[in-house]
Amino acid sequence: MNGRVNKKFKIIYLFLLLLPLVVFILSFNIGSYPIPLRDLMKTLISPFFPGVKQSLPSTYLSIVFGIRFPRLLLALAVGAALSVSGASLQALFKNPLVNEYILGISSGAAFGASLSLVFLRKGIPTQIMAFLFALAAVFIVLLIARGSDSPLISLLLTGVIVSAFFSALLSLVEFFASPYSLQALFFWLMGNLALASWQELAISLPVIAVGVVLLILLRWRMNILSMGDDEAQSLGIDVKKEKMLIIFLTTLTTSAATAVAGIIGWIGLIVPHLVRMIVGVDNRKVIPFSAAVGASLLLLADDMTRAVASYEIPVGIFTSIIGIPFFIFLLRKSRRTWL
Amino acid sequence: MSIKIQDLTFCYKNFALDVKNLQFESARMTSIVGPNGAGKTTLLKCISAILPVKRGSLFINGMDVAELKGARRARLLTYVPQEHGSAFNYLVLDFVLMGRAAYHSPLSSPSATDHKIAREALEFVGLSDYSWRPYSQLSSGERRLVLIARAFAQNSEILLLDEPTSFLDPKHETEIMTLTKRLAEERKKTILITLHNLDAALKYSDSMVFMKNGGVFASGKAEEILDENLLEKVYEIPMKIIHYDGRKFIVK
Repeated sequence: MNGRVNKKFKIIYLFLLLLPLVVFILSFNIGSYPIPLRDLMKTLISPFFPGVKQSLPSTYLSIVFGIRFPRLLLALAVGAALSVSGASLQALFKNPLVNEYILGISSGAAFGASLSLVFLRKGIPTQIMAFLFALAAVFIVLLIARGSDSPLISLLLTGVIVSAFFSALLSLVEFFASPYSLQALFFWLMGNLALASWQELAISLPVIAVGVVLLILLRWRMNILSMGDDEAQSLGIDVKKEKMLIIFLTTLTTSAATAVAGIIGWIGLIVPHLVRMIVGVDNRKVIPFSAAVGASLLLLADDMTRAVASYEIPVGIFTSIIGIPFFIFLLRKSRRTWL
Repeated sequence: MSIKIQDLTFCYKNFALDVKNLQFESARMTSIVGPNGAGKTTLLKCISAILPVKRGSLFINGMDVAELKGARRARLLTYVPQEHGSAFNYLVLDFVLMGRAAYHSPLSSPSATDHKIAREALEFVGLSDYSWRPYSQLSSGERRLVLIARAFAQNSEILLLDEPTSFLDPKHETEIMTLTKRLAEERKKTILITLHNLDAALKYSDSMVFMKNGGVFASGKAEEILDENLLEKVYEIPMKIIHYDGRKFIVK
């Protein structure tokens, strides 16, 4: 690789890493309540300049810092969480098609969260229920798939079955739910960031941050685990322990994201693919860049749901409708590079 | 680094490996030969603890292998698989770098020193110009060389190579065997290599182990144990040993 190519890559990398910040700043301008750009700028810098603050209407302050700021932050966090989890699981299971859905994490989390939303309204927080059931779903899948001759196929099959089982349980909860809680549950299941508040962020953000940072630190180990169990062991890795650690962390981040944002599909599959097409398959790059690109893309998707219509389409529906055709395109385009 | 095996047993489905007593000398190259299904690969996988071994059956320099933990064992011995198949198409340099995993904690990434070692490893196998190529675009001979480079980067005292020359053309076979021999002679590595090519085994290795039906049939220096009678018993077809140019050749 000569110097010029290297330099070109460095510019691309820098662009990708700065992307979330750029999208974040631009996204403040989007929403149903119009704020002139000049005033928006003033509002954004007002915490640092008390003088500016007094000249602004208080509506601007509460919209920008009370509503938009937490929502944008949540979109970034959830996007990063889902993408990093997806990329990690793909490395771990040596398969670029694995994601949180296939392993039952999402349906487990959905069921746990629904229990909390419908029956335990003020009891155990949604996050904890989502996490517990996500973990339960993953362990059931791993337990059933264990010791098979073709681990991957049995893993995918049990994943589908366990997901279906938790979906059935979810239907049961829906059946017993009151119309009011049913509406809340439906809204949540479709995946949306509209309910974001500082309160929600206070619980989820630290969990997601810890999970994502640890997974990013483990990025090189994922290369080695993607070599397969025998080789990874021969290379000096405690395969069982490190696999469990990564599964635990992906479950933690995915369920924390699911608990606040509902089911947002396809981000965990598409973003790592997109990133691999740009930076190659080395997880030392794939994992951190998945975080940056995933955060930016989910925020952009959320911006679009707010910008295209006067009412809000849940972002989960949006990512699936845009995501699936895009994924088919990616599959066709990149078939030869990794499959 | 000597390897000592006593009463090593391993069972899987219909196959049983049972090695009563076997020792491998330090800084020497030992070929393990025998018919398909004799247990050669299973033996290598047991020694490298990919397959579980019982306590007190396998010792390396007096240490019980069953009690050695991941990274420590990997710094002591390296298993080189016959073929590597991954869904992800890593660049050759990144692939070789993975040999350094045993020197890192789970949360750290390779350093500049590791990169230097990986480049040296590629230089050793003659693939310095291949650093930025995707692994899957290499020929199968080049892939084997990359696997050896990764083992070189892992820098363990003992290398276990599982049929590194199968399906290779004569040039690549010679290349691999010469490199392996150099690892034993120049770098004082202890090498165990499974082979089907008996002529290559005779030419390059210091001693030989003949395996059959999960057990050791004969072991020792080739000149001491090898005769037509042994070959026929092990392979169940008549073979002839001919002398040419001061070397022995085996003709079927």
